[in-house]
Amino acid sequence: MRNSRREFVVGVAGLGAGEIISGWSLFPKYQHDRRPKRSRVAILNLNAYSEKIGEMLDRGLTLFPLDVRNKAVVLKPNLVDYAPGQAINTHHLLVVAAAESFRRLGAKSVCVAEGPGHQRDTQLVLEESGYERWLREQRIRFLDLNRDHLRRIRLEANYSGMKYLWLPRTMLEAEFLVSMPKMKTHHWSGVTLSMKNMFGTVPGIRYGWPKNILHWRGIQESILDICATVPVHFVIADGIVAMEGNGPLQGSPRSLGKIVLADDPVAADATCVRLMGLEPRRIRYIYESAKFLGNSATRIIDQVGEPLVRPQTSFQLVPAWSHLRT
Amino acid sequence: MPLRANLLDELSRRQLQCGAWGALACSDQPVIESSCLAALVSEIGSKTRVGAEQFLLRAQNPNGSWPALLGDDQEGAWVTSLAVMALSDSVPATPSRLKGYEWLIGFSGKEANWFWKWKFRTTDRKVRFDPDQYGWPWFPGTVSWVVPTSFSILALKQAPCTCGLFEPIRLRLERGTKMLLDRACPSGGWNAGNGVVYGAPLAPHPDDTAVALLALAAQKDLPLVRQSLRYLEGTASRLRAPASLAWAVLALAAHQRPVNSLQSRLSAFAELRHIEDTGTLAALCLALECRGSLSMLGIHS
Repeated sequence: MRNSRREFVVGVAGLGAGEIISGWSLFPKYQHDRRPKRSRVAILNLNAYSEKIGEMLDRGLTLFPLDVRNKAVVLKPNLVDYAPGQAINTHHLLVVAAAESFRRLGAKSVCVAEGPGHQRDTQLVLEESGYERWLREQRIRFLDLNRDHLRRIRLEANYSGMKYLWLPRTMLEAEFLVSMPKMKTHHWSGVTLSMKNMFGTVPGIRYGWPKNILHWRGIQESILDICATVPVHFVIADGIVAMEGNGPLQGSPRSLGKIVLADDPVAADATCVRLMGLEPRRIRYIYESAKFLGNSATRIIDQVGEPLVRPQTSFQLVPAWSHLRT
Repeated sequence: MPLRANLLDELSRRQLQCGAWGALACSDQPVIESSCLAALVSEIGSKTRVGAEQFLLRAQNPNGSWPALLGDDQEGAWVTSLAVMALSDSVPATPSRLKGYEWLIGFSGKEANWFWKWKFRTTDRKVRFDPDQYGWPWFPGTVSWVVPTSFSILALKQAPCTCGLFEPIRLRLERGTKMLLDRACPSGGWNAGNGVVYGAPLAPHPDDTAVALLALAAQKDLPLVRQSLRYLEGTASRLRAPASLAWAVLALAAHQRPVNSLQSRLSAFAELRHIEDTGTLAALCLALECRGSLSMLGIHS
């Protein structure tokens, strides 16, 4: 009898502990629900990088009720490394066109900021990728996020367990932050789009090259924590020539002929994923971020510009991510 | 004013009141990497150098390591290797350096642990590497990478043989050297530390290659080292980025390759004084005076 009673007490205690643990896991891992009621995404068709890109972007931006007057605009391209003939980086013509467009819209200042994840010599990436010349000619300031002044910031979500990150002042003080990813598949995260692009804000001088701690803490989880903390206000995704297969560096160029604009990074990434012929709900960070950062469902995304047409052949993926195909 | 003196003057001008340097000209946040590199090139005994040494002594963590930047947590970072080198000419700093060496000996990539070694050997084989050969990570809790391993090798080679750490240092140097050789790119040279991913070879980077070759200055005859030198020589002549070219000059000089024409190219870059990155300015000063710089890095031809 005594044994039975002890077993009963232990059992009840165990059940109670189990309830507490499962209760904890049911608590949201984010602090604020920032989802807009509806999001807006525009798809623009452009088959090649040419001088038409500026005109096209100007027209595309009129589809959004943007007010960047007197704001400090920060453009965050995906500038990782350089290899001739590879579609690794956001094309410099698109970045320069975006800078000119935001200047015309009355921005107080426009700068380009990036912290390459593989290359310590940021200047080398700028030189080899063609950015250096264009930025100089257009008098656009570049800021190396790997070496910017840093602040220790409490993360506004807790998927990775990191709690705090040192982040660049430029990004924390940006009044209008534009994520400008290259549309690519990625061997560690499935895809790399506007939200994964924010890994470039994590400073190498504190976290190394590559920013290995983000991999150890979970790439999907780190994306969620960073994007909860550094809000992206607008997205201009470069899918004119995208990358498929073993991205982000060694994949194959894929001519997609699209630029995706969006006022919500979750909606932008979900749309890009659909354009790649993949299923956004199967990507954890998109699935989770649709609970608090933005919208991924087509019914709450206002699709403007060109229609969203899935490709006949979905993007190639490394085997670990083949389940993303629809 | 000769170029190197001009750059040293600029470095002095950028020194913060606390004796440190910011990573960029526009930043007043004390950063250890820039401070160590700038201290290394400053004249021994000068006000600039003494200020920098005093800053580094104040910034040391209780466990003997140095943080990446002032105000960071006290776990330590890869820059400990740079700090012990920057303090190598300061006699009062000897106890601090010894604590730094001790910390470096115990600081290793996650793959040094049996569990992660097993994981990389069995289930996680997407990146090709031998987890038995580990070096140093950038920060605790991550795996080994080429640059922190190379600087740690350079630092530990300068440890005084009377420090009582001879055997553990020998073992770490041996394993770190093997790690560098294991992580090279198939075509020669190094990038951050992933030679082959998903079966596809990755390209080397000139600056990572240069730093690895400095650490392997004593392994001149290894075929991989010779192959990497050929890559670096071929690449350096086309480089338009001052930092990569500066490190390439140092590495080639460490392997007794001619560098005069590369130094001339380096000097011909426009507006070097206005380069925002303080670490690059210091690297330029190192490269423009190779012989003395290699000696500071513990490399004697």
